[in-house]
Amino acid sequence: MNTELTTPINSNPIQIGKILCVSTIVGILLAVGLGFVYIKNLQFAIGEQIRHTERKIQQVRAENEVLLAKVTELTSRPALQARVKSGYIAVVNITGDKIARLTPPVQATEVGTLRTAFNEFGQQ
Amino acid sequence: MKFTANTRIGIACGIAASIFTVFSARLIHLHVAKHEEYSRLAAQKHLTRQVIHAKRGMILDRNGEILVTNLPVRTMFADSSRIKKPEALAALVATYLGLDETEVLEKFSTGKKYIVLKREVPEETALALLNEMQKQKLRGIFTEQDAVRIYPNGEVLGHVLGFLNHEGKAVQGIELSMNSQLEGKDGYRFIERDRTGREIVLYRGIEEEPEHGNNVRLTIDMGLQSIVEEELDAAYKDLKPETANAVLVDPKTGAILAMACRPCFNPNEPGKAQPDQMKNRAIIDMVEPGSTFKIVVAAGALNEGKVDEKTTIFCENGRFAYGGRILKDHHGYGHMGVHEILVKSSNIGSAKMALMMGGDKFYEYVRRFGFGERLGVELPGEIPGLVHPPARWDKLTITRMPMGHSIAVTPLQITMGMAVIANGGQLMAPRIVQSVEKETGEILVKKEPTIMRNVVPKKTAHFVSEALVGVTEPGGTAAFARVNGFQVAGKTGTAQKVSPHGGYAAGKYVVSFVGFMPAEDPKFVLLVMVDDAKIASNLNYGGLVAAPIFSRIAERAARYMDLTPTMPPIPLQPAPIASTPTTEKRSN
Repeated sequence: MNTELTTPINSNPIQIGKILCVSTIVGILLAVGLGFVYIKNLQFAIGEQIRHTERKIQQVRAENEVLLAKVTELTSRPALQARVKSGYIAVVNITGDKIARLTPPVQATEVGTLRTAFNEFGQQ
Repeated sequence: MKFTANTRIGIACGIAASIFTVFSARLIHLHVAKHEEYSRLAAQKHLTRQVIHAKRGMILDRNGEILVTNLPVRTMFADSSRIKKPEALAALVATYLGLDETEVLEKFSTGKKYIVLKREVPEETALALLNEMQKQKLRGIFTEQDAVRIYPNGEVLGHVLGFLNHEGKAVQGIELSMNSQLEGKDGYRFIERDRTGREIVLYRGIEEEPEHGNNVRLTIDMGLQSIVEEELDAAYKDLKPETANAVLVDPKTGAILAMACRPCFNPNEPGKAQPDQMKNRAIIDMVEPGSTFKIVVAAGALNEGKVDEKTTIFCENGRFAYGGRILKDHHGYGHMGVHEILVKSSNIGSAKMALMMGGDKFYEYVRRFGFGERLGVELPGEIPGLVHPPARWDKLTITRMPMGHSIAVTPLQITMGMAVIANGGQLMAPRIVQSVEKETGEILVKKEPTIMRNVVPKKTAHFVSEALVGVTEPGGTAAFARVNGFQVAGKTGTAQKVSPHGGYAAGKYVVSFVGFMPAEDPKFVLLVMVDDAKIASNLNYGGLVAAPIFSRIAERAARYMDLTPTMPPIPLQPAPIASTPTTEKRSN
């Protein structure tokens, strides 16, 4: 009985090199595939962030514009005049001495005359 | 017939190859030849064109005060294909938007993808609704950015600014005339949505940024406009006329500094206004100007050499028979110079000057002063007025037109006609738009003052101007137009109202005063016109009704503009209307 262990002549030997080569290719393809999926996911996540940020910017802009419109309305002439009438704010005359003039204005001196178009207080 | 194994294999391979070839050819056909068509179909199926609204430009006054701005709002719409819990959503929407729940539910059941629920929803409401939907995990409601126009000054300047209708289309005023500059151009973006209706940013398609509208800066000064509006308002309440107008112009540049009409309307609520309230009467109303028109014949006759400073004209002692009719003056005058004819507002003197000139020459001057043509102000609907050529005149026209009858003009034309005298004989093109600017403030278009034509030489204008100063002095027809500290030049006008049924309406008058100040170096020309004031007919004169309004506006305007007084103060005068006695013959 032949008990000697010998490699059969027709058997296929394990070709480590080829296995390694195929494994490497499969590994690379797998990594590329996973990487692609990861990047796609990342892109979606960033897209979502972009959408949120855009919405926030839009909201802030809209709020800003709403506030500007309100400021415009509250500071409009009719609104301010209504406030002056109600006594909430008062208009203080600018005295003549606070106004720089290039030519001296004519002053009303007589009693019972209409006021001239300048502020007389500055002359006192 | 028997095939060998090789033949069978060959046939099978051939068939397989043919099939693949056919498929490949079809594939190539679809991908290459039909690429455009199928891409478009796919895009139609998946892509949505999202409009990015352009912001409408603002309207500002000459100092940058905001006259018109935008308030962001949202249009709320539903996509019923994405609604999972219609009942809960309808209840929420009805609560936040103030709608009827049953109606909302009915709308959801239509299956449409774009159901507008409510427009012009305030930002806060829209955001609150969306947040609540997120909390309750409801979906199917979306928003679109929109804006409404805000006119912070309400009725002030309403006729000039105009308004937008409910579709956002400009209807009148600057909103309409400058629409191409104000509206901008909407942008767009092609987007894809996921099954929940959210945009997939990764698949954004072609996009174009919106071009926001430009800001329009007017020549209007809101300080002066407020003064004019206040005084006109007070007069409108006191005198209860049918209409009242005031136009304030810088004669040297043609810039309109203020323009007001009564009755008026609030452009924030145009739906509440009657059509009559919306008319900008300063440019679309035709009136007989009355005696303010005498400046035309005086300037023309002087310029043509038919009269000079020393010429006297016999005024027929107040009764001039011509063409089978008697033309009257309100007092009987004998010989008067041109200066006196203007100061006393003699109809006969004016008619005789026109007769000296001849119809054709007089007509030429009427047209040179800008009557009978559109002056080209940047407001829609300006009319040219009605000035018939001499060929269509009757025998009396030449004696009636010099005193402002048989002719129809706009209040703006009267103002610009007086501005010719104030500006040394040059007619400036009236303008209300100063510049067009980008959102950043960069000036795109700047409108410069334009001389329309030289109407009369400086010397003639100066002579007429001096005569017009006499009109406001004691003895003139408009002593109540005086302003303390300043020399005022001007002319009153009182014309009987034309009846819509033909002829003149008895007891109804259009009275006016148009003048400029300071007379020696005019800073503004102001017209005040009051149509059918409800006062005694013997008091309804330009010098008694319109002149005091002019005086009040002019005094406040002088203070506002910080004009230095050049004249000594004048004694305080009694109130005009209350103190005016007895009857006078009408024609000042």
